[in-house]
Amino acid sequence: MNPDLSQDLSLFHLILNASIPVQLVMLLLLGASLMSWWFIFIKMFSLKRALRVTDSFEREFWGGGDINAMYQRVAAERESAGEMEHIFEAGFREFMKLRQQPRLSLNVIIDGTRRAMRATYQRELDSLESHLSFLATVGSVSPYVGLFGTVWGIMIAFMGLSSVAQATLAQVAPGIAEALIATAMGLFAAIPAVVGYNRYTHDIDRLANRMESFMEEFSNILQRQVTSRAD
Amino acid sequence: MSFPADARFVSRPAPTFVAGAMALGVHALFVLLLVFGVSWQTEHPAPVMVDLWETLPPVTPPSVERTPRPRPEPVKPAPEREPVVKAPAPPPKPPDIALEKKKAEAAHLKKLQAIQAAEEKARAEAARTVREKQLAEQKKRALLRQMEEEDLMQRVTSEAAANEARQLKLSEAQAAASKRQAEVASVVGQYRDQISTKVRGNTRLPDNLKGNPEVRCLVKLLPTGEVQSVRVTQSSGNAAYDEAVVRAIEKSSPLPLPVERDARAAFVPELSFVHRPK
Repeated sequence: MNPDLSQDLSLFHLILNASIPVQLVMLLLLGASLMSWWFIFIKMFSLKRALRVTDSFEREFWGGGDINAMYQRVAAERESAGEMEHIFEAGFREFMKLRQQPRLSLNVIIDGTRRAMRATYQRELDSLESHLSFLATVGSVSPYVGLFGTVWGIMIAFMGLSSVAQATLAQVAPGIAEALIATAMGLFAAIPAVVGYNRYTHDIDRLANRMESFMEEFSNILQRQVTSRAD
Repeated sequence: MSFPADARFVSRPAPTFVAGAMALGVHALFVLLLVFGVSWQTEHPAPVMVDLWETLPPVTPPSVERTPRPRPEPVKPAPEREPVVKAPAPPPKPPDIALEKKKAEAAHLKKLQAIQAAEEKARAEAARTVREKQLAEQKKRALLRQMEEEDLMQRVTSEAAANEARQLKLSEAQAAASKRQAEVASVVGQYRDQISTKVRGNTRLPDNLKGNPEVRCLVKLLPTGEVQSVRVTQSSGNAAYDEAVVRAIEKSSPLPLPVERDARAAFVPELSFVHRPK
């Protein structure tokens, strides 16, 4: 009966015809989705690089190279060095400084070295984990935001239905279709964010474990060096 | 006291531009997938206009016309070749031998005659083809004109038919409307009778009633037929009787009402009710 009801239901038409709150929700979700994908790719690149650099450093370190030479190299190219190299550099620098001071016991030297390494480790971990909280937020909240848009759109569709005498499915169908787009967008934003968050937290955990064990092993090596010199 | 310069924390610049471009790419891909992957109900099949042709001659005449055209072309070169044939003919004259000369002349004559005959034939043929062409064109023009006329006639007749149909529809609609009104009126009358019989059955006539007095009441009804209020608009002169009628109407709630919307309008929300005891 109404010619407007048989209009086209294309994606853009539906979005443009949606009510303002639903459109705002869609805009918000689009922004969240864009940002989360952006962070996903940033994290992907930086984590890949961190893994690669850490692998090569470990290979070099356990390959039996000269620690002094390694320190020189890492200090020279600090900008491009990886997380573990930073820890190594901080620890070794602190160790050398403490060793130059007279009458310091072995425990004090090793503890100072470990504290320096731990501080750098925390900073590196913090940098690795940046943006991850945003992914977690998008992953948990955007389905609700999309649901809100859908509920609002369906409410409006049914309100329009109350003013007509004969209710047909064709009168609510476009409203419900446009409302459901909001849920679809929310899920589209949430699913990659959740997957990315889980995956990156796992990767970062493994990297952190490697860094921690390196710290312990490096402390042992330094301790051995000190005791062997002292003897 | 000054703190020793420790190595400062180095924040590595992440490849943000590449990541941003990739994020945009993912969204563009998803939108493309949605637009082209899902068959949205974008267009309703548009009404198709169909021209119905009773005769299909306009297609055939051009083909008829086109076939004769190539024919004159191979014929025409023949006359052009005549002078070329004639020119080499004179040289045989110089030889002294008369017989040969005669023979040659006879042959030449024959040849000439043959050529002339061929020429005439070709000319006749060309003329014929031209005539045929003209004829075909005339035929075609006549056909076209005829078709145009037919078209016009058809259009005129179809318009007239459409007009007639429209008028017929209008009159039909009017007839339907009046019929419907009659139906509604009959339904209303039926229910009025039902209501008055129900009320009459509930009326307890007072003893002092004389004759067949008429009471007019205004009854307010709910859509369900329940009586909301009754008011006497024109008394019968006998107060006891008026009261009895009012009570009877209240007692017969809910009143029977027609289901149809149009017929119902005569009863809801107000019904002027006329009651006589007999």
